[in-house]
Amino acid sequence: MPGHLLHGRDDADLASLPRTTASPTPGAGGPRCPAARTDRARKTYGVGAATVVALDDVTVGFAAGGFTAIMGPSGSGKSTLMHCLAGLDTLTSGQAFIGDTDLATLSDRDRTFLRRDRLGFVFQAFNLLPTLTAEENITLPADLAGREVDQAWFQQIVSTLGLTGRLTHRPAQLSGGQQQRTAVARALVSRPEVVFADEPTGALDSKASAELLRFLRSVVDDLSQTVVMVTHDPAAAAYADRVVFLVDGAVVEELTDPTRDSVLETMKRLGS
Amino acid sequence: MLKVSLRNVLANKLRLLLTVAAVTVGVAFVSGTFVLSDTMTRAFDELYSGLTAGTDVVVRGQSAYTTDVTTQEQPPPLDESLVAEVSRVPGVAAAEGGVTGFALILDKSGEPLQPGGAPTLGASVGGDEQLAGGFSFRQGRAPTGPDEVALDARSAAEAGYQVGDTVDIVLQDGRSTFTVVGIIGSGDSDSLAGATLAGFDLPTAQQVLGKVGKVDEIDVRGADGVRPERLRADIAAALPAGAEALTGQQVADEGSAAVRDAMSVFSQVLLAFAAVSVLVGSFVIWNTFSVLVAQRRREVALLRAVGASRRQVLTGIMVEAGLIGLASAGIGLLAGVGLAVGIRRLLAVVGIDVPTTSAAIEPRTVVAALLVGVLVTVVAALVPAWSASRVGPIEALRDAVPAAGDIGLARRVTGWLLLTAGFAGLVGAAVAGGQLAWTGAAALVAFAGLVTAGPSLAQGIARLADHRRRGNGWRMAARNIARTSRRSAATALALTIGLTVVCAVAVTASSLKASVSDSITGGNRSDFILQPAGTGSGISPAATGLVRGLDEVGAAVELRYSGVQVAGTSTTVVGVDTAGLDQVVDLGVQQGDLERFSSGSVLVAADEARTLGVGPGDRVPVTFPETGVQDLTVAAVFANDTLLGSPYLVMLPDFAANVTSRMDGAVLLTVRDGVAPADAERALTAALAEYPNVTVRDPAELTADAQASVDQMLGLVTALLLLAVVVAVLGIVNTLVLSVVERTRELGLLRAVGATRRQVRTLVRRESVLMSLLGALTGITLGTLSGIALSRALVDDGVTRLAVPAGTLGAYLVVAALVGVLAAIGPARRASRVDVLRAVTTE
Repeated sequence: MPGHLLHGRDDADLASLPRTTASPTPGAGGPRCPAARTDRARKTYGVGAATVVALDDVTVGFAAGGFTAIMGPSGSGKSTLMHCLAGLDTLTSGQAFIGDTDLATLSDRDRTFLRRDRLGFVFQAFNLLPTLTAEENITLPADLAGREVDQAWFQQIVSTLGLTGRLTHRPAQLSGGQQQRTAVARALVSRPEVVFADEPTGALDSKASAELLRFLRSVVDDLSQTVVMVTHDPAAAAYADRVVFLVDGAVVEELTDPTRDSVLETMKRLGS
Repeated sequence: MLKVSLRNVLANKLRLLLTVAAVTVGVAFVSGTFVLSDTMTRAFDELYSGLTAGTDVVVRGQSAYTTDVTTQEQPPPLDESLVAEVSRVPGVAAAEGGVTGFALILDKSGEPLQPGGAPTLGASVGGDEQLAGGFSFRQGRAPTGPDEVALDARSAAEAGYQVGDTVDIVLQDGRSTFTVVGIIGSGDSDSLAGATLAGFDLPTAQQVLGKVGKVDEIDVRGADGVRPERLRADIAAALPAGAEALTGQQVADEGSAAVRDAMSVFSQVLLAFAAVSVLVGSFVIWNTFSVLVAQRRREVALLRAVGASRRQVLTGIMVEAGLIGLASAGIGLLAGVGLAVGIRRLLAVVGIDVPTTSAAIEPRTVVAALLVGVLVTVVAALVPAWSASRVGPIEALRDAVPAAGDIGLARRVTGWLLLTAGFAGLVGAAVAGGQLAWTGAAALVAFAGLVTAGPSLAQGIARLADHRRRGNGWRMAARNIARTSRRSAATALALTIGLTVVCAVAVTASSLKASVSDSITGGNRSDFILQPAGTGSGISPAATGLVRGLDEVGAAVELRYSGVQVAGTSTTVVGVDTAGLDQVVDLGVQQGDLERFSSGSVLVAADEARTLGVGPGDRVPVTFPETGVQDLTVAAVFANDTLLGSPYLVMLPDFAANVTSRMDGAVLLTVRDGVAPADAERALTAALAEYPNVTVRDPAELTADAQASVDQMLGLVTALLLLAVVVAVLGIVNTLVLSVVERTRELGLLRAVGATRRQVRTLVRRESVLMSLLGALTGITLGTLSGIALSRALVDDGVTRLAVPAGTLGAYLVVAALVGVLAAIGPARRASRVDVLRAVTTE
């Protein structure tokens, strides 16, 4: 089903729909402008001798229109990095940017608005409010903002994700794959600058995982959407353009155009 | 398992506090009522035995029937010569006659000292000190001679009278001036339960109280070594017919019994309010435990998995409930004692001077408090505990989010059937009228229907709130209410109970108010009505004479009241002045003829005539307390008895022949033709300057006053019921806190995808408002219907009209919504502070 997106008859329309993008950050460097980046991002927990460093001066950028995977062993800080970039958590020092917005300068309220209006989220599990139908879950951020949803865009996403017949169902009536696709639809419906996905396939079987990843890939290719995904699965990482490896809170390695094998090999090397 | 229970109880202090508070209010109410009534009973016991201390035997006139003490009917007076006869009985050391009657003390500016509900007494004082019992002169001496008076300490203090001052007193024959020579205390109290007392020497008292040559009572002290019982028998043997002798102890017991009777009515009323609070509290407990159990399914399952039996799980939760009950009962008991002390202070403030004694905490009070606290909690927790014990060990392994819990079809159908039957019953009772038992039964059935159909109703109100395409906060709030429909319904039901009673009372009271206006204007032709301030008869005939002599006044008809018995039933008779009667009131004669109203005849109200089965020409035996049975001939049967307030009318001379008191209960006046009412009122007020206790009012003012007193009563009752509403609000807070805790992840997710803190707060607040509105709508509906049926049921008891206070009921709805907003403040704050990361991070 997700495969249709690549060759579907509406693809051209889909791609030509206007979308909001952050203006390029001057001096950020790189062939594409970063949609999100950190500058000497540091996050510590506790004080004194008990201090735990989760992020250790991480400077990393995520290109607009790119699909980046963040990998690393448990406790490497990959989730913390994503949370701080997505305005879900705050840095101890350093900076995190969405477009050219420095998250540290935002109040809790403004960070909430940023998440609502400029970002999309897909979590590993418990993505959906159980009392709302699939459709209501998808339009939740727009409803919270009091905005109307672009119906054509909504229909496009829903049909592409194969959710058309499932819109009036509650999450409990959907399969795991359908639930995650609903979450992806919610992340995309407001045309965000960046979609953050935290182990989106962690709770799915291999077939459902592959479907979801193919869809994320096509979103980047056909819609120039920016996707940042935290994963520990080499097969999932292989769908990305680029893989960033974190160990002990620091970026230690990068791979471009990864394959499952190259990812595995890098992991093995870093692990030993 | 006890350790687990204990730890669970202490795990969440806020939850514990809210749960305990819900039970505590009811327990405090119950124990407070007991302590108050026990304390007051004990105080009066002490007072009465103090008053009769030193008096061995009391001789008094014998009533034709046992008079109800609360109506303050006096036994017939005795002839003064009997005092000498009694003192000649062997063994009598001293015998002293005494009289009691009406005397109204005026303060220095001429305003009457009018206690709230207590009488204004004039009495003979002084003489044998030992016979004075608890009464003693705190200052000065006993009065002697026609110009001297002694005042009770409370009145003296209130008006600032000292020994040597002059004081004006309104008596049966008018206003007189006396010199204060003594201040009287009754035991430790400044007054006798709030009554004012003007004491004179016996001859003066007989003169000013209208009892020349008479005594109401003879107090006897026996010689040393003579047993009171023996002395009583000896004296009784020497008494003529119509007089009786009692020992001092018997008189004290009589007084105590009367107080006990009055207190038991008072206690029952308070206990009824306590029952409402307890019932509401039990719903809160039930609900709290349901939620606790639902949240602890995994914990319970784990316990089961490691080998706890079903019985152990059940016992564990029951022990937890028992501990909470015990704590609540303890706190409630203490609060109850405090409440009792507070109410006594309040009574003192409004002028009911309750004799002081230490607070009486009987074993019964403690047992009742513990029983109510523990039993209510344990019973309310039974069903939730039972359902917890059904949790299978395997559920420990699942990530069990409390199930939505569909409402079974059977429950839904049963609920709606009960609801329909109950409401139909109430409508039927309202249409039929006079169906008190039916009304009560139908209200109970309807309430059972509300309990059973509650979850369906919760879903209904959720659907109503969620009707728009994009309901925003309302939609999510409504969905949450629908999801937890059982819990929401149970929470709302606590409010339903309170508001049902409040609204039923409000409707009945407003019907009563409307009826009061009917009863005053029904048949009235008078322009002004004179009434004494306070209770009882208090218009001096001298005042009536002054008014009758005014040029501005046309007809003036005086009314005197007395309690009587007819066919074994206590009722009242009114003595009327026949001259001008038809000018002041249209009696609405149905049978017979007013022309035949003469000496030895009686007019009977239509309802009463129907009950007795009598008509014009028939004879009715009317028993007067002083003179016994009088056979009176029915002259006419009349319809409008509400203005006169009595179903039997006799002519004034006949009345005076049977009742000693000459005080008027009311005077109806018309203004002479051509005189402006305002001029007449001015003339009346001027003429009555000497009688400040007599009020001049036109029928409209009288109606307004009567309605104001209904309002006052309604306010008091509503205030008491508000306690139950407060408990219900605690229940809402409790449910909200628990559901916020339960939904931490959901709320976190909501925040992650862009809900502001304010939006989360709004969500919780709207859930609270929806629950409050559910409770308010059901409560107001059931209460209003019950109130209508109740008003119609009381149609024979004077509630002749039906009035639904739509404004008040609407205000309750608004207040309920506001209560919802208030209850949500804490929980909403908590919800808006959930940790977003915890919600989106998978453990």
